[in-house]
This record gives sequence, C-alpha cells and structure tokens, in this order.
Amino acid sequence: MFQLSDEGKAFVKKQLARYEQKESAIIPSLYRVQDENGGWVSPEAIDHLSELMDIPASRIQEVMKFYTMFNQRPRGKYHVQVCTTLTCGMLGGRELCSFLMKEHGVKGPGEVSKDGKFSFSHVECLGSCDTAPVMQINREPYHESLTEEKALKILKELK
Amino acid sequence: MPKCTINGQEIEVKPGATIMDAFYQMDQKEKIAHYCYHPALSIAGVCRLCMVEIEGNPRLQIACNTVVTEGMKVNNDSEKVKEAVKWGMDFHLINHPLDCPICDQAGECGLQDQYMAYGKYDPEMAERKVKKRKVVDLGPRVVLDSERCILCSRCVRFTEEVTKTNELGIFNRGDRAEIGTFEDRPLDNNYSVNTVDICPVGALTSKDFRFRQRVWLLKDAETICAGCSTGCNVDVYFNKEGVFRLKPRPNEKVNGHWMCDVGRDTYKPLNRDARLLDARLSEGSKVEYMIPLMGARKAAEWVREAKADPKSVALVLTGQYSNEEYEAIVSTFKADVGSDRIFHWVNNPETFEKFDGLLFRGDRNPNTKGLLQAMQRHGSLNNTWNELVAALESGSVGTLVVAGPLDLSVFPDLGEKLASFAKAKRVVWLSSGRSDVVDACPSPLIQIPMRTHVEKTGTYVNHAGIAQTVHAALAIVPKALTLSEVADVIAGRDVKRGNAPAGVGRRAQNEFTAHRGAL
Ligand code: SF4
Ligand code: SF4
Ligand code: FES
Repeated sequence: MFQLSDEGKAFVKKQLARYEQKESAIIPSLYRVQDENGGWVSPEAIDHLSELMDIPASRIQEVMKFYTMFNQRPRGKYHVQVCTTLTCGMLGGRELCSFLMKEHGVKGPGEVSKDGKFSFSHVECLGSCDTAPVMQINREPYHESLTEEKALKILKELK
Repeated sequence: MPKCTINGQEIEVKPGATIMDAFYQMDQKEKIAHYCYHPALSIAGVCRLCMVEIEGNPRLQIACNTVVTEGMKVNNDSEKVKEAVKWGMDFHLINHPLDCPICDQAGECGLQDQYMAYGKYDPEMAERKVKKRKVVDLGPRVVLDSERCILCSRCVRFTEEVTKTNELGIFNRGDRAEIGTFEDRPLDNNYSVNTVDICPVGALTSKDFRFRQRVWLLKDAETICAGCSTGCNVDVYFNKEGVFRLKPRPNEKVNGHWMCDVGRDTYKPLNRDARLLDARLSEGSKVEYMIPLMGARKAAEWVREAKADPKSVALVLTGQYSNEEYEAIVSTFKADVGSDRIFHWVNNPETFEKFDGLLFRGDRNPNTKGLLQAMQRHGSLNNTWNELVAALESGSVGTLVVAGPLDLSVFPDLGEKLASFAKAKRVVWLSSGRSDVVDACPSPLIQIPMRTHVEKTGTYVNHAGIAQTVHAALAIVPKALTLSEVADVIAGRDVKRGNAPAGVGRRAQNEFTAHRGAL
C-alpha cells in the first residue's frame, strides 16, 4: 500500500490549509504523490490521498484523469510527452509520437519500452504553439520545432 | 419581488430566482429545453440548451443560471434562440449513437423530445463517432452506456449532493470524457436508481426495468410507495400484464424528488405471480379453493360461531392497510362482534425507529400511524402482544382474524408469528400475498386475498402524520377484497364494492404521448 512520506503528508496538509476550497489542493498533492510513487499515480495512491485530504476518491480521480501531466500507469525512466493539441497536432505531433514509439518498440501511449527506459504519451497543449511540434521529457525544458530525426537524436543521446 | 416578462407573459418571481425558475413557476418547463438543470440539484450550466434572448442583451443567455432582474424581458421563441438550440442539439448528437430503437429511454427521452422540436434533421458530421464504454455494470441496479451520455452531470451531482456518496465522476477530458466510478467500484447506495430517472437520455438504465417494456406501452397513475412509513409519492407504471416499475413523483413535503431503491422493488409483490388469487381453506390435509367473497362468508361463520364468547375472537392488525379499512374492521369488531381483543403486530421492533437520514425508515409499513390512531379511537391501544400470546397459549382463542401483510417480505417474523397463531382453533388470514409458510399452517385456516394499495382507494398516514389519500389505479386481482369489505361480511352487512378502479391515472386518454419523464 502506497503511503506518502511524513514530509509528503505535511506538504499535503499545508496545501489544504492554503486554499479557500480544499479541492484546489488536489493538483499540488497529486504532483507530490506522483513524485513519491515513481512517476505515476496509482489507484491506491488516490485512496490514500482521499483519506488524507478527506476528498472523495472520485473527485481526485477526475482531476488526475483530466490533466495529462499525471500518469495513470508506471512510466519509463524517460517519459516523453508529445503535444498533440491544435498547432502541434496540425504540424504532425501525433505522427511524431507514433514514429518515436515505433522506433522504441512501444505499441501505444502509456506502455514502457522493454529496457524500461522510455514511455510516451500524448499531452494537451504545452503552450509553445509557435514552435510546434514540441515535446517534453520528464519535467525538463521543452524540445521545440521538432522533426522525426531531431527528436530521435535527442532520445538517442539519453543515457 | 422582481417582475419580468417571459414570452410576452408577465410574472413576478422571488428575489434571486432564475429565468428557469420563472419557467417552472409558470408551469412551462416543457417549453424550455434543459438537460443539466434539475430543480433539486445545484446549477451546472453545462448543456447550453436553455438559451433565452433578453431584451437589450446582445448575446443569448442560459436561463438556468441567469437571475431575473426587475423589468427583464425574456423570450425563447425567437428565431435566434431556435437557431442556437438547434446547433446546441447538434453538438450533443455528434457522438451520440442514435440507437433509439434499442434504447430503453426511447419514448421518454429528453434528446428525442428536443430533437422533434429543434432538430436539424440533417447531420453534417463526416467524422467517426467516438467509441466509449457500453453496457457498463455500474452497480447492482444501474447500467451505463457512455456513448449515449451527454455529460449533463446530473447523476454526478446527485451522488455528490443528495446521497453524498460521491461514487460517480466525469473522467478524462474533451470528447473522451466519460461518466464512471472510481476504479469501477460499484454505484451501490439505496438511492442509485434515481440517477436513472434524472438522466435525460438513455445512458443510465435500470437493470430491473431495461428491455422489459417499451414505455409507450405503459400507463401511469399516482400512488404512494408502501415500502416504509415515509410514504414517498410515486407513479406506478403498468399495463394489462401487470406493474413494471415505480418512479418518484415530486412532493416537497414528503419525498422531495426521490425515492429509495428498496421502495423500487415494492411493485413486485403487487403482481399476480406473488399474489393470493383465490380464498384457500385448509383443514388438516383438506384444501379447498373458493372465490374471495365465499371465503369471507366462511370466515364470518367462524367468527359468529365463536361469538357466543366474544373474548374468544381476536383480531391482529398490521400497519399495511388504510385508515378507512382500520376504522371499518375495528368498529365491526367492537360493535358487531363485541370483542375488544385487538392487537398490533409490530413486524420490526428492532429497526422501527431507524432512519437513514434521507427517506428510508425502519418501520416498513405505510400506515402504522393510521393503525395506532384507529386503535386509540376505539380504546384498544393498551392491548399488549403478550396478552395475545398468553391467550393463544391457554387455548382460549377460538377464531383469530389476522389482517396480515400485503408485502410478506417485510415481515421477517412471519413463520414465528404463524406458529403462535396456529394455537388458535381457527385462523382467518387476510393478505394479498401467497406464502408457503402460511399454506403450511397446521390449524384450520382460511386465507382471503386482499387488494393492495394500488387497487383500492384509501388514506395512509406517514411517519410525520401526513395523511395521503390514493386512488385505485388498476385491478390486478379483481376478485380480491378490502378489509372494509371483509368487515361488512363479518357484520352481515351488504358488501359495497365501491373500490373498483375509477378509471386509470392521468394518462388514460393518451397512452402513446411522447412527453413523459422529467426533462
Ligand atoms: S449519465 Fe445521464 S445523467 Fe449522467 S451525465 Fe450522462 S447524460 Fe447526464
Ligand atoms: S423511503 Fe420508504 S416510502 Fe420512500 S421509496 Fe423507500 S421504501 Fe418507499
Ligand atoms: S445550461 Fe441551462 S439547463 Fe443546461
């Protein structure tokens, strides 16, 4: 059973006190859970949060599933998030993601490559439409104006 | 009190009332499309169909979330509004499967009704529809078809605000957004079927009702639920094959807009397969069937024979009958039989005082209050059950008349009580339900079929003392009797069969109307 560390729990309590509506504390708390749970939010983790925050699990799950920055499944060491919203979508974001997945022998978003190194996901607008298509790896700065070659090269360089 | 004009009609509303409230107040809720608004839930403003035009306001507004101000001039019949609603409808239909022919909601569907009024009739969508989960087993009583869902969020607000159980949520975003429960945990609370009622489309359907009848083949009539002492107001839906479902009818004083799931099942004992159809006389291994009225005559004979010693006749009453019947039977016992041995069978002493905080009560009888009032009027309130048991044990009860349960399932002590009743020389058992336990009673016993509350006119007093009169809606076992009729036979009076259904409920004239269900 997943449990937040004592500091994690203290963090969540602090967030709860911080906002007028306690639902506002869901996002920062989910981030914390994701960080402490190896990069994804498990159902047990939501149950734990629900108890800690006294917010129904369904409410937390709604937030978690709405935002693409929360992972619903275990991820690889490098989690590659390709934007597929409007501009990136029009400039080949989806195709780019499919290409990268194929190159790494991954069947679909959410799956982890055999060596455990990569996982991929489509994400909603990263806010960098002028340099579409873009991708983000873990929580690092964006890689912009991508082409298939450029993106593949970036991934190849990752240890 | 702000005054406003709606479609040319002037109306005064409470301060803070919305335009939608004004439509409801004018009893014109059918005139305004609304899927997400529900009078008993918070305002969501998500379906965008309740568009109105407000004079001086360049943009259309939603009626459900716009507060009426003094002198406001509102209409929802201009071309501009119709155009907006038409396109709004079309958006709702983009991913809707349009499987009306196999959808249980067809005939009482908000989407169908609005489409007839505002449809575009020519879908221009060339894209493929988004596929979502179908036939999702949401819980013991509810099935979900996510493709039909228009995400009005009524069901979510219901579990959040009314039951406060929070099972439901809207997960994912955009065109992948879907109703569901956290990790598919069951939607399992005692009010879950209300989500089916408030779902404006066929996304949530009731496991019990789905595929059993097309709704346009059913008639409905107003009655109450006899499942507990709350006495929720309900509509009973039936046809000549029997009763198929109950749905709550709003009554702020009694049940608001809801009813419980336990109450939903109370139509089952009304149907013929659960009923006692003829009078049944059993003496030892000899069994004889006769029409109910003959059975009542036989019972009257037994009562008369024991009458030489009025003390040897006793009457047991359950809280399942109407005021009128209690009055008739109790006064007959007092005046004509001359016995004051009248007892109240409390079927559920342990749960009697229980209340779930919403509607459901531990007293599983519709009219315990009425019964106690009748007993009090006739001075038999102080008779205790122990006196009856003592009399039965000592063999001093010649004929015992039991006005037994209409719903046998809420009398868990049936077997135990019958064993004790069997100590009387003869037992007259009045009930609408058929039961092996009763059939097996060793002493001479006559069972007489009784009418249920939907088959007779009568008044029921709920836990709060609210008296509700319901009228006969249909006849399921037409030969069955009421307690009043049995009283007449016992007293040797002419039987007035005044309780035959006086025509069915309010939809008798037009049983194929499409406008049903609450939008
Ligand atoms: S399931 Fe029905 S009530 Fe619930 S959001 Fe969908 S359409 Fe509305
Ligand atoms: S609360 Fe009682 S009266 Fe109301 S529906 Fe349930 S059982 Fe019937
Ligand atoms: S937006 Fe007003 S009823 Fe839905």
